[in-house]
Amino acid sequence: MTILEIKNLHHTYDNESYALEDINLSINDGEIVSILGPSGCGKTTLLRVIAGLERQSRGTIKMNDQIISNEKFMIPPEKRSIGLVVQDKALFPHLNVINNVVFGIQKNKEKYKLAKDYLNIFKVEELADEYPHEISGGEQQSVALARAMAPHPNILLLDEPFSALDQSLKTELHHETKKIFREQGLTVLIVSHDKDEAKFLSDRLIYIENGKISPQ
Amino acid sequence: MFKFSFPSFWTTTPFLVLFFFLLPVLIVLSSLFGDYSDNWAHLYDYVLLDYIGNTLYLIIGVSLLSLLIGTSTAWIVTNYDFFGKSFIEWALILPLATPPYILAYTFTGFFDAYGTANNLIRDIFSLDQSFIFFPNIRNIYGAVIVFSFTLYPYIYLASRSAFLNQSRSMLESGRMLGLGQFEIFYKLSLPIIRPAIIGGLMLVIMETISDFGAVDHFAIQTFTTGVFRTWHGMYDLKTAMQLASILLIFVATFVWIEKISRKKALYTSGASTFKPAKKIKLLKYKAFIGFFACFIPILIGFILPITELTIWAVSYNLTFFNEKFILAAMNTIFLSVTAAVLCTSIALIINFSIRFKKHRSSNFLSSFLSMGYAVPGLILAVGIVQLFALVDQNILFNTDIILTGSIIGLIFAYIIKSYALANSTFEAGFQRISTNLDDSARTLKSSGWNLLSRIHFPLLKTSFLTSILMVSSEVVKELPATLILRPFNFDTLAVATYVYAAEERMFQAAAPAIAIMLVGLIPIILLTKMISSSRSMDK
Repeated sequence: MTILEIKNLHHTYDNESYALEDINLSINDGEIVSILGPSGCGKTTLLRVIAGLERQSRGTIKMNDQIISNEKFMIPPEKRSIGLVVQDKALFPHLNVINNVVFGIQKNKEKYKLAKDYLNIFKVEELADEYPHEISGGEQQSVALARAMAPHPNILLLDEPFSALDQSLKTELHHETKKIFREQGLTVLIVSHDKDEAKFLSDRLIYIENGKISPQ
Repeated sequence: MFKFSFPSFWTTTPFLVLFFFLLPVLIVLSSLFGDYSDNWAHLYDYVLLDYIGNTLYLIIGVSLLSLLIGTSTAWIVTNYDFFGKSFIEWALILPLATPPYILAYTFTGFFDAYGTANNLIRDIFSLDQSFIFFPNIRNIYGAVIVFSFTLYPYIYLASRSAFLNQSRSMLESGRMLGLGQFEIFYKLSLPIIRPAIIGGLMLVIMETISDFGAVDHFAIQTFTTGVFRTWHGMYDLKTAMQLASILLIFVATFVWIEKISRKKALYTSGASTFKPAKKIKLLKYKAFIGFFACFIPILIGFILPITELTIWAVSYNLTFFNEKFILAAMNTIFLSVTAAVLCTSIALIINFSIRFKKHRSSNFLSSFLSMGYAVPGLILAVGIVQLFALVDQNILFNTDIILTGSIIGLIFAYIIKSYALANSTFEAGFQRISTNLDDSARTLKSSGWNLLSRIHFPLLKTSFLTSILMVSSEVVKELPATLILRPFNFDTLAVATYVYAAEERMFQAAAPAIAIMLVGLIPIILLTKMISSSRSMDK
């Protein structure tokens, strides 16, 4: 079953040259797809358009066969059921780890138990009461992933999630994360500039160059 | 599939607030297109030239003197090390806590024929009681001194930060080319920081033009006293509004110059190979001269008035602490806190909506909403009175008592006048919050009020409190708008000070004046903390 479908998507900033041009892409349920490409090729823009943080100039995005945005219509990011993890993790500095994870879970009597389960999956449950600045970069990454997964999104978007980590920690987290994605049956779209990382984590690779999907 | 939806609260609110902020000013300006009464002939024949001449004289005199004080003190504390410098460095902004009208009142008492200064001279030199050493200060020269010694900190702050950004290698090159210390100051450093100084100077000029209390006390005919007298003396509101419009055009010109100078101020920042200038240690008599040169402005602008006021208050046997004082203090606290909370909340909501909705016109919105700081309180008051009268008579059932003469007008004026302070606090606060936090929160189903209350507000608590303190201390000092818009028999500390001083009851004016100055210290303490924390971050 197709979870995400993008058709003829174009995007420009301030009506200048295309940041994204004629993007066509579909991702199936449980599939892990990576987008590769050089800096400034439009990878992050594509992720932001899918998340609803930018609005495309043309084209249609569908999720579970429902249009979530086209030229005339746009569902805002908070109503799309999409999880997002960015390069700098963007953990809320005034909330401790458990409250960061609880943040996106809708009213639910057992939301703290649910949040703890996700921390448990990433083996960071003992950090529940710590604040983001009190934990390491790798731990912050795990908390950011747990936070994005906790509300059960339809798709998880990861923007260079491991780029700020050192190589040994990266390798450890790659194995751990891939295992979790598989166990949870998640649909994931990863943006990366690291070919090895993308190959290891994903079922399929897509290359973008100058805003266009390029055949490799 | 086209679905019409009303613009959201976050899209419309900034424009709605802007509309209400502009209304009083537009009403004042609209008077220019109406009839001109016979009083114009009187103004033209007898006083208009004085209004223009005196206002220009004040602008030129205050500009020159405050430039001299502000830039020279900034140069000394930036480039030299001497005994007491760490105290002098922050104490030079203390006169900002003294509103010009309070320095005018204390100057009058101090330098009067039988005031403290002349008495002291007569006692020291055993002179005859008829001997007068200090000349009369209640004239335009006295006003120039009063404004310069209370407003120079604007230039001091601007020049100090510009001097700090000058690189050592540039100054050293100057020395290698044969320039002495003084030549480096006026041939090299001063021309380079000129745009930054102009920004500070424009603030000094705008404050000078807006003042009512000091010029009224010194009986100098300027545009502000003219507007007040035309309205309350000739009972001609229309002509008063027309005079106010001319003053507003004056102010708008200076705001425009200030904006341009800010853009150009960029070239004062250091190059990539920046090294701060090395300080020269002053010893013996040179250290004394350095200290003394910087101490005089603090003495005149802060120490002298606060000491004189304290002596007056004490010699009044503390009976000033009566029901009237307490009532005025309570009214002031109520007004300042209410206006500060409302102004701060409005600034928070507007800054959030600009960020949340990514308004394309955000720069335009911020600039226009912040223009109120430049509008003299008196003009704002005239506009609000006229606006409320229109609303009362045309909308609220032909009455003239619901809005007009209520504290709503006062709070409205305070909000417009202080919005720039609250806005700049939040602009800086929001800049420190990464937009990635917003993006993450939005994908976690948080938006609008939820996003504001759960993410931004907790992260902006310090900005919120800072803004409340800054706005309330500004409101406490505001005189002309309060004087005109206050309800009948409703006194504040500023009004009480003005009324007592107008009746030459200086001893009674002392207590409320001290209270105003103490509240005025709050933003200075905050400013000092901000400067020192930004410096420690730089390190």
